[in-house]
Amino acid sequence: MPRAWAAVVGAVCSLTAFPRTSLAQTTATLDLSVSSVRYDGFLPSGAAALAPSVRWERPGTSLTAQGTYLRFESGNVSLQGNVTGSIFTAPTHRWRGQVLATAGVSSYAEFPSFRHTIGEARLHRLGEHSGAWISGTVGRSSLGGTPRPVTGLAIAGWAQRAGVQLFASATRAFVGDTAFSDLEAAVRARRGALALEGYAGARLWSRGAGRGVYGEGSATLALSDRLALVLSGGRYPTDPVRGSISGRYASVALRLHTPPDWPSHPPFAGSRATSDALAWVEVLPQGDRAVRFIVRAPDAGLVEIAGDFTDWQPITLGRGSDGIWTVVVRIPKGIHRIAVRVDGGPWTAPAGARRADDDYGGEVGIFVVP
Amino acid sequence: MKLVALLGALALATRVAAQEPRLERLDSAARAPVAALLDSARAAGLPPEPLIQRALEGTTKGAPPDRVVAAVRRLATDLGRAREALGLSTDPLELEAGAAALRAGASPAALAQLRRARHQPLMVPLAVLADLVASGVPPDSAAAAVLVLAGSARDADLVEFRRAVERDIALGASPAGAATGAARETFGAVTDVNSSARTGSARPRRP
Repeated sequence: MPRAWAAVVGAVCSLTAFPRTSLAQTTATLDLSVSSVRYDGFLPSGAAALAPSVRWERPGTSLTAQGTYLRFESGNVSLQGNVTGSIFTAPTHRWRGQVLATAGVSSYAEFPSFRHTIGEARLHRLGEHSGAWISGTVGRSSLGGTPRPVTGLAIAGWAQRAGVQLFASATRAFVGDTAFSDLEAAVRARRGALALEGYAGARLWSRGAGRGVYGEGSATLALSDRLALVLSGGRYPTDPVRGSISGRYASVALRLHTPPDWPSHPPFAGSRATSDALAWVEVLPQGDRAVRFIVRAPDAGLVEIAGDFTDWQPITLGRGSDGIWTVVVRIPKGIHRIAVRVDGGPWTAPAGARRADDDYGGEVGIFVVP
Repeated sequence: MKLVALLGALALATRVAAQEPRLERLDSAARAPVAALLDSARAAGLPPEPLIQRALEGTTKGAPPDRVVAAVRRLATDLGRAREALGLSTDPLELEAGAAALRAGASPAALAQLRRARHQPLMVPLAVLADLVASGVPPDSAAAAVLVLAGSARDADLVEFRRAVERDIALGASPAGAATGAARETFGAVTDVNSSARTGSARPRRP
């Protein structure tokens, strides 16, 4: 539960920091990894894993499905799958509610499968750079056909500043007759193409779930907008809900992923091409000067862009799902000007570019391709 | 005499238009004056391409001919001011970025200081300077922040710096404070909060 901190903080931050749009996006990743693992009470083993993940989200709502196929040196196979949904309620001043639901199953060799179904309600107190929440969890976890009730309480806080996110939490959980308390702190930082994460925790007041300290770290280096190298390692505790036992590991993974439909740096100066169309420009960090243009215009029949890179001849965008129109154009290095129009309407400046007076009584978007 | 001058200008415009077929897209009333401005720019050593693009932009947007000519003339003036501040050897991309920075509100003195402070290409620092000023950062503060970074920062670092400033402004910081704060901090100041940190974890669960 607590180690989903980064995604949770990310979701909460996105609700506080950036303009909301009604856009939905789907992203997918596939991790291909080799690991050295040593579970408590077992000999060390090499392992190879495939871990796909698909995430659908729109502001305030997300649904994530992920799985892991893990094959050990012995030939034994571990399978794990998990689906999580999250919905935020409308904000009331600084308060906001969140409901999460998780269902998952895992199996290993000939042993009976673990299954769990968990619901969680959170109450967030949100600030611009920090926040906190309290939560209650109920559900059940089963090994084979034997269910056990799951309950829990948690309190957590987060802060972000200048590319660094901090997180701390205290959790008390009960799984059947097993009970434990976890104190955890985490940090996540990003510099250019490199993202670093680390967390440390201590399990205290445990009955049947072990005691001690643990921690993990990872470094993710983006090699392109579709490929990343992930190095990770550390020690993690027993998870009585999902049926995993404590151990330590070191892993090297290649992560393939779809580029996000949304810009990685959301537009700050929203620009409406028409009353119901939202356009932005994104310079993709591919090194080949590709620039993606995106316009959300569900009811439009024609979306065009023009700029100095087209000699100001309009080019038509292709319509995708959910009324999202896109085109990717390779543009030479330099300062460029761009305008967007929907259904032959007025030319406007897209967000994601600096807006400037165009000398013709309107606005133009200016962006740089380094 | 006036007739001779007019005929001469028309002949010149026709020749330039022949050299630059894209001008055929301009309204006939704008074609000759724009061609003359292009010729003047070439003679002064200024890049003609930004001027052509400005004229085409106006044509695509349906601007009246006199407005197209005025926009091209204004850009030619800005390019000239930029070259004056940045030096005769400035390349066309830098000139265009410099003109945009001047138009946004940066001072010629700031451009000259930037030229002295950075021995690498100036296009990105100038674009960042223009963006900061356009974002509401006072020109002096924007120039000071970019100058601090320009000596050693890579172009990518400067782009990240600009994003950090924009984000902090969006989060409620004053533009000047955002620029100062982001310059003081190390680069890599933007966090992609939409990305999940642990999707697809390959961590083994059991032996």
